[in-house]
Amino acid sequence: MHPSDGTLRRRLDEPVAIDAPVRQHIAACPRCTDRLARMATTASRAAALFAGTDPAIDVEAARRLLARTESAAAAQAPRPRSGHAPAPARASAVRVRRAMVGVAIAATASLVLVVTGASQDFLSLFQPRQLTPVPVTFADVRSLAGLTSYGHVDSGGALQVQTETSAAAAAASAGIAAPAVGGLPSGVPATPRFAVVSGGVVSFTFDAALARAAAARAGGDLPPMPTGLDGSTLTVSIAPAVVVAYGFDPASLYHGGGLPAGGKAFVVVASRIPTVSTTGVTIRQLEDYLLSVPGIPPEVASELRALGNPEQTVPVPIPIDLANASKVSINGAPGLLIGDSTELGSVVVWTHNGVVDAVAGTLSSSEALGVARSVH
Amino acid sequence: MPTGFDRLFVEEYPRIAGIARRVLSDPAAAEDVAQEVFLDLHRRFGDDPGANAPAWLRAAAVHTALNTIRAGQRRSARELRYAEGGEMGGDPQAALEASETGRLLRAALARIPRRHAAVLALRYSGLSYAEMASALGIGINTVGTRLRRAEARLRKEVGDASL
Repeated sequence: MHPSDGTLRRRLDEPVAIDAPVRQHIAACPRCTDRLARMATTASRAAALFAGTDPAIDVEAARRLLARTESAAAAQAPRPRSGHAPAPARASAVRVRRAMVGVAIAATASLVLVVTGASQDFLSLFQPRQLTPVPVTFADVRSLAGLTSYGHVDSGGALQVQTETSAAAAAASAGIAAPAVGGLPSGVPATPRFAVVSGGVVSFTFDAALARAAAARAGGDLPPMPTGLDGSTLTVSIAPAVVVAYGFDPASLYHGGGLPAGGKAFVVVASRIPTVSTTGVTIRQLEDYLLSVPGIPPEVASELRALGNPEQTVPVPIPIDLANASKVSINGAPGLLIGDSTELGSVVVWTHNGVVDAVAGTLSSSEALGVARSVH
Repeated sequence: MPTGFDRLFVEEYPRIAGIARRVLSDPAAAEDVAQEVFLDLHRRFGDDPGANAPAWLRAAAVHTALNTIRAGQRRSARELRYAEGGEMGGDPQAALEASETGRLLRAALARIPRRHAAVLALRYSGLSYAEMASALGIGINTVGTRLRRAEARLRKEVGDASL
């Protein structure tokens, strides 16, 4: 199999990071050699544009300047800063808001970290009965891509965000009623905007030959395989999600820019629970077997174990460098409150009557809980 | 006794300014951005900003710089001086070419998708794929794909003739 464009591109910059068999394939394959050469040409043109030596920087002088600025700001406190809002605060708020909305949509549509491009994440597939927080780090998420060493992931393409003009239009498009918020926190614009996130089908097909090669690279052999495992496919069908956004344009999260410089903003998301099906073996058999394969990254193995029984629980991945989670009750329904450790945002996720709902945004925990409990 | 923030400043300041310079093509404006993001980091996290601070700073630097060019801000007098060669040691022809390339690059970075502009600025500031993944909050396997698309988009935007 030919390596992806991303792998080829990395081959140009960090060749030792690419597995030796892949490097050998690239060197021997005329098609890949040609792709690599064209990529190198494009990269060298970009490099030419960015070329130029950074001027020498006097770090000590820069540190003194920063100290003076801080002293001046302290002397002026508590006067508000004039002019524009600090851009890094915006960048941070954008990052947190994206992460929060990512968690919310993950919980409702099962594609965790959609906004970070990790939609092929096998571990986000579930057949939910209850919610279980699963702490993850970006390093964990990166390691999950290693599962492609054991089979083929078809993420069904990127999720699409379609803005809608009204709750009724969004409901008609998504096939699920748009959640109505009964009580808004103070400082949030009262007029909501609507969007629908497309559904889709994600599948993982186990490939014994790939797994054998991965095991060999790790210096081991594949354990005996259950009947039906080779070629077995796990398929998750994800329903569309309806998004009700207060304080910002929901489409902007996927297209960059357009976010407010400050203030409170949040989304309420609802989707029908995804359905999971397998061919050949059960989900549990597939999970158990993957855990027994030599060379499975320890992060993947620990996360697989942390999930417990995926037929019983909804793993809600929590980026532990941003958030922590606790169990809550939303009008009698089981839910999770996910607090952002930088105090910039909160998420509440709960399930009821075959629907997963979530509230996420730059709200305090109590505000997010208040919104969740007012949803009808 | 230097604090964690002091050590971070010494280690990261040149790189943060370098990231901003890739976007702004203006060393002085880039240092303004570096000052702004370090100031914001210190306000938020104090003297011990933690292990994620470098990734935070890099993301903040690239987005702050991109905000600047996307807001269509007028070039400052200092930037004009730089473009005219006042801070480049005197070769007017070299200054003119650098200024023209910088103008082309800024315009292109303002037009292409932000995620593409960000990965380009970080890559050509010398960040590793792991560092880019951390700063952008994406998987390491996504970095190469995004970078390839970004380079192709930049090439389309700028055209071959001008390179």
